Amino acid sequence: MAIDIKFIGKAYAPYTYDVCKEKIKEYAKAVKTLDPHYVDEKFAKKSKYGTIIAPPTFAVVFGANLIEPVFTDKELNLNMSMLVHGEQEMDFFEVIKAGDSITTGAVISDIKNKEKVDTITVEVTSKNQHGKLVCRGLYTFVVRK
Amino acid sequence: MEKGQTFQDSEVVDKYRTLYYAGASGDYNPIHIDPEFGKMVGLGGAILQGLCTMAFATRSVTNLIGDPGKLKKIKCRFSAPVMVEDTIKMQGTVTDIKDGLGYINLQVTTQGGAEVLQKFEAVVEV
Repeated sequence: MAIDIKFIGKAYAPYTYDVCKEKIKEYAKAVKTLDPHYVDEKFAKKSKYGTIIAPPTFAVVFGANLIEPVFTDKELNLNMSMLVHGEQEMDFFEVIKAGDSITTGAVISDIKNKEKVDTITVEVTSKNQHGKLVCRGLYTFVVRK
Repeated sequence: MEKGQTFQDSEVVDKYRTLYYAGASGDYNPIHIDPEFGKMVGLGGAILQGLCTMAFATRSVTNLIGDPGKLKKIKCRFSAPVMVEDTIKMQGTVTDIKDGLGYINLQVTTQGGAEVLQKFEAVVEV
């Protein structure tokens, strides 16, 4: 079954994620990115950011809270056994700091029905507690037919 | 940073990397953490989370620029799986510098030459 294009524009309820420095360190270690901005508190305090910041790609950690409801959306009914992550695009604005409270929303921005596959793109937008844009991600998934 | 400048990075995907990444990111899809499941669905074993490969690739760019806050954009296509114990090689080129922004292309391949991320592009403040 092709993904119905009527779902373009469907929005998902926002989720607020509290960023903690220990989670940042855990993520930085997992992706073997031991830049002192992420893991060295003394360095971070003296940096222009004044605290531990997250690697830019940490945005996928809170972004995941908006991808999960898309994957489990019964109305959309994606065939998860045929789904792979096809493309990723991320625009970065404000840096993510330890202690931030980040609210993320998502909308299905595109669906394409092709001969052998369907693609679905989810636009995920995150803002910090000051209302400033932190990251806009475009997650494109490919579902084989 | 200069136009035409090149840089390299690499990462050997250790046996447990997919588990560390699962814990840090929440992506516990069995194709990443269960080699038997990976074999059953025809992948030949556990495959690394694509966003982990993307994070390694992004690291090579943030290491180049020094200040992670200067990274403005990344994009890529996930074109082939990375298996546990593969070596990921990143080969970057600064393709242009214009209006205060640097444009970077990255080739991301495994030891056999397979291109695992295609069209990896980054934009940074310079």
